[in-house]
Amino acid sequence: MVKRYFRAAYLSFLVHVVDIPPRFFAFLIFIIFLLFPITGPPESILLMMIIANLMAIYGASWDLLVGRTGQISLGHALFFGIGAYATALLYVYLNLQPWATIFIAALIGFVIALLIGFPCLRVKGPYLALVTMAFPLIMTGVVYYFKDITGGERGIYGIPRLFPFLNYNQQRFAEYYFTLILMLISSIIIYKIANSKTGIVFLSILDDELASKACGINVTKYKIMAFAISGLFASLAGAVNAHILSSASAASFTLTISFMPVIITIFGGIGTIYGPISAAYVLQILDRYLLYKVINVSTEWRTIIYVVIVIVLILKWPRGIARTAVDKLKDLEEARPVEVVYKKMKKKEESSGGSIHAPS
Amino acid sequence: MHLLEVEDLTKSFGGLIAVKNVNFNVDEREIIGIIGPNGAGKTTLFNLITGYLKPDSGKIRFNGEEITGLPPYKIANKGLARTFQIVRPFRHLPTIANIMVALNSPRGKKRIEWVKTPERKAMEMLEDVGLSEMMLEPAENLSHGDLKRLEIARAMALEPQIVLLDEPFGGLSPVETEYMVKSIQRMHLDGHTIVIVEHKLHALMKLVKRVIVMHYGEKIAEGSPEEIAKNDKVIEVYLGKVA
Repeated sequence: MVKRYFRAAYLSFLVHVVDIPPRFFAFLIFIIFLLFPITGPPESILLMMIIANLMAIYGASWDLLVGRTGQISLGHALFFGIGAYATALLYVYLNLQPWATIFIAALIGFVIALLIGFPCLRVKGPYLALVTMAFPLIMTGVVYYFKDITGGERGIYGIPRLFPFLNYNQQRFAEYYFTLILMLISSIIIYKIANSKTGIVFLSILDDELASKACGINVTKYKIMAFAISGLFASLAGAVNAHILSSASAASFTLTISFMPVIITIFGGIGTIYGPISAAYVLQILDRYLLYKVINVSTEWRTIIYVVIVIVLILKWPRGIARTAVDKLKDLEEARPVEVVYKKMKKKEESSGGSIHAPS
Repeated sequence: MHLLEVEDLTKSFGGLIAVKNVNFNVDEREIIGIIGPNGAGKTTLFNLITGYLKPDSGKIRFNGEEITGLPPYKIANKGLARTFQIVRPFRHLPTIANIMVALNSPRGKKRIEWVKTPERKAMEMLEDVGLSEMMLEPAENLSHGDLKRLEIARAMALEPQIVLLDEPFGGLSPVETEYMVKSIQRMHLDGHTIVIVEHKLHALMKLVKRVIVMHYGEKIAEGSPEEIAKNDKVIEVYLGKVA
């Protein structure tokens, strides 16, 4: 009896839910994100979501480089930090508005990625990973050495917020919407690039560099292109982050920041672009809300529990949570029983005005 | 002027001389074979011509223009395409996307007539080698024979002036070999210039008009298949010395 109801529910789920295109789900989630501040969340939750928005951009930029072209970068903090310092220095020395400095900082990240790309991409695989890892460390040294300009260990603070004309509470809301839209635009751009003809060439380099060359592809050019685009978005995230926290410090160049997109991307599903974007939110909520607010364990335990959960989930779904979810949905659709297909056909026939031709 | 001229090409790896003073020419619309026992330097010769290795000395001219030491992608864009002895498809890409990569190169882009989209052109290329049914299948799901044909289709997507085929019959069943021979014959009839390195002499001798024999990096004979089959030196290399 119960089994029959369950089966009926399952079938109606297949007929009515699975056929909804994934775009609809994405849209639904976006609506939730748009409306979520209406519930009047505390500032900490809002800040958590703002950071999640930025991490989504940062993670997606890493995924475009590593998941799509296979050029492993373990020093993405370089771009994140350069974005932060560029925007701060542009404010301090040229007194530019945040609106301008954010985008100039992104462009500076782009140019630096181009410059670094040339020597870096001559090495491959683990060697490239090590070389890229060195750059943020070098930058830390540079920041400490030029104390007068960069503020040394204290960093630069007092960078204006993005919306200085609003009062304190309104500012967070405005920042939330700003980062949300920025995240949306950036991820659409990254996704479009990844799925364009250029994206196919990126994937061919990941699969077999030698064969790409035989196809007449200038592999170095494409690698540097991926590096530069990735650097642009990572710097953008870093620059906005500096304005949110109203400071830029050498903490942006640490290994923690370098490994953040690695964890986000692998957790979400490497090479998918939507993987790191969704994982950024899942991990932020897990860390800052579930463990911090709901369970409220002490800081040391929080890190340990967080890491254990992440490791267990990665071991359980090595292809990433987002990719696994999408695959499960696809399996469900493929495995649907004959009745469902029949019902679908009938539905289509009715809607097309009861044609006399049998559906082919 | 010959289409491809190879002059005194030499390459050594440490103490081993893999290719030693090799000279040969390829004319337009010709189909020639390069044979030789294992380790004769045939694949090294291919890698030298297509830019994957830099020669120690010697010159390679294509269309009268020197291409010695150019990077592989530039040589491919000049119209000198190759396939690999061990298949190198883009395993995670769909079959059609494998062709699209070649169509994204500067030469590939130029060769798409304005009435066609790249997708359409790629579909036609797959139809030519009989892979249109596998169009959306990731290349890793294809059989070895299909992959060999995919490689050829990918090389042909550049619409090259010369195609260098490295062991196109390697690992193929007799039926597949037959199909491959026919495909290559059709390519030749379409006006393409083809150079084949091969071990399967039986299939090769039916195809080519001229054969170059290599042994220990040196060219030891050149001529029509009939001449080569009677050449004492070649028989010695393949079967051992007559006592």
